[in-house]
Amino acid sequence: MIIRTAIAAGVLLAFGAVQAQDKPAPPPAWHQGKPAAMGDSKLAPLAGKMTETPASEIPIAKVKVPKGFKVEIWATGMPGARSMAQGDKGKIYIGTRTIGRVYEVTDKDGKRTSRVVVDKLTQPAGVAFAGGSLYVIAIDKALRFDGIEDKPDVKPVDLTEKFNLPKEQHHNWKYIAFGPDKKLYVPFGAPCNICEPPTKEYAQIRRYNPDGSGMEVIATGVRNTQGFDWHPKTGEMWFTDHGRDWMSDAGPEDELNRIDKAGNFYGYPYCHAKGVVDPDIKKKDACKGVTLPVATMGPHAAVMGVRFYTGSMFPKEYQNTMFIARKGSWNRTVKFGFDVVNVRPSADGKNAKVTPFMTGFLEDPKEAKFWGRPAYIHQMKDGSLLVTDEQLGAIYRVSYDGGKKK
Amino acid sequence: MRSLRRGRWGAFLIAFFISLAQAQSEERLKACAGCHGTDGNSTLAGTPSLAGQPRVFLENYLVLTREGLRGTKVMQDLLKGVKDPEIVAMATHFSKLVPKAGEGAVDKPLFERGKAVAAKNRCASCHSADYRGREQMPRLAGQREDFLAEAMAAYQQNRRAGGDTIMAASLYGIPGADLKALAHYLSRLR
Repeated sequence: MIIRTAIAAGVLLAFGAVQAQDKPAPPPAWHQGKPAAMGDSKLAPLAGKMTETPASEIPIAKVKVPKGFKVEIWATGMPGARSMAQGDKGKIYIGTRTIGRVYEVTDKDGKRTSRVVVDKLTQPAGVAFAGGSLYVIAIDKALRFDGIEDKPDVKPVDLTEKFNLPKEQHHNWKYIAFGPDKKLYVPFGAPCNICEPPTKEYAQIRRYNPDGSGMEVIATGVRNTQGFDWHPKTGEMWFTDHGRDWMSDAGPEDELNRIDKAGNFYGYPYCHAKGVVDPDIKKKDACKGVTLPVATMGPHAAVMGVRFYTGSMFPKEYQNTMFIARKGSWNRTVKFGFDVVNVRPSADGKNAKVTPFMTGFLEDPKEAKFWGRPAYIHQMKDGSLLVTDEQLGAIYRVSYDGGKKK
Repeated sequence: MRSLRRGRWGAFLIAFFISLAQAQSEERLKACAGCHGTDGNSTLAGTPSLAGQPRVFLENYLVLTREGLRGTKVMQDLLKGVKDPEIVAMATHFSKLVPKAGEGAVDKPLFERGKAVAAKNRCASCHSADYRGREQMPRLAGQREDFLAEAMAAYQQNRRAGGDTIMAASLYGIPGADLKALAHYLSRLR
């Protein structure tokens, strides 16, 4: 970092006015905080797959779930599929990142067909549905599609200005969802691996009225949350947060947090996980006043979607517990995650126990050999769960039949 | 009996469409070769060599260009409506061709300077020790010097849309003369 700053300063001196008009760009966001000792590390973000994968090429039999549960391929052909939002009439909307599309899946007579609702957007990862309208939030755009389930060609209403989206892109692809208060919750990640955010607009979670008015910041010190849900009994929001990179294989671990009151500070960039002080961005009493996580979720695990289970299909013990997808690590020599876990804390956030639920995607942690990356979880009306696989652009359905004879 | 006949017709039709797709695919590969070289080593100014590029990199590039998110207008038009299996076939084809080292004499001092710039900026940590690339990260060894120079300049000046922001940030602050040396060095590797 120091070397880069020195180079940048040298350039400014050498080229004076020509270069001075450009604001100094930060070093690569994923690279920041990389210590000299890790300079030759070969770790790099894992490659996604942007072409369609037919069901015949998905090794679904390798997925392991507890006894009595069943996993099947539910829909395919949607490269980059991430979070899901279900319309009032049953259609499922799916956001993506790099490929820039939002998909719509229609389930009719036991068969699923999909189409692209909108494309050419900059990472439209956030999708939510309320009052007959689909909301899509990309890094630099907010769109609303009214009555889309009946009007497939409806032109979107552009709400971009209302949401006041900041300009930095890194970690600003979004998970979005409507809370029980009918407000739209939108995160704004830190635009770096580890830094003091350049302005106050980052590293926070906000909520808005559906039309983009009435913005409130409800949590700060949040590095990069890619999933949240509300406790079925308490109505409190729980969210996952990704830990920083380039500190060590051991972490700091990703977090599962609970918002017991609006305005909590969750520690970034000074204090990580359950009190790990940052070695690069220093502050006296770094963990003072920080709301620590309910549970740590594993080193570099890339915790994604969170879903409290409220259906009637699964055994009673799963009621009001959480399912959390861990897309899996890149910034770690031995890979970790690539699964869905079940988390059972008490309502006040104590004693969270993390148990693997859906595994088999990671075949060799040392060789980074994996075939799928579970990303988001959606509960269907019948109590089954849909799980997106961002790597293969597919949705898997998890159901329970209590191990009944076939 | 009827279903049997229908089955035969079905098989015939499937075979027909497969051969049609193959013919289309071959036509398109010929079109690629027109600019990128029959062996995937480009001899056309400003046009990149594709031979030996990682398949994932080529797939990603082709998909994002088809989607209109990156690449040049010419490439976007050429790829409009091309289906995924054909993109995979194209990417696989070019990834298997043998890359050559860049043409032209080696300017020893420039080459050495480029080598030092690459080492200092740790290009190899993503693009591999011998710069042959891996997965989503392209091969740099043996790429055309003019293409590398222009691509890096474009990244630096934020003229190269649709790709990851990583490259623009990685190249930030590297003086133009160093980039020139880097392009020369990488192009002469094999």
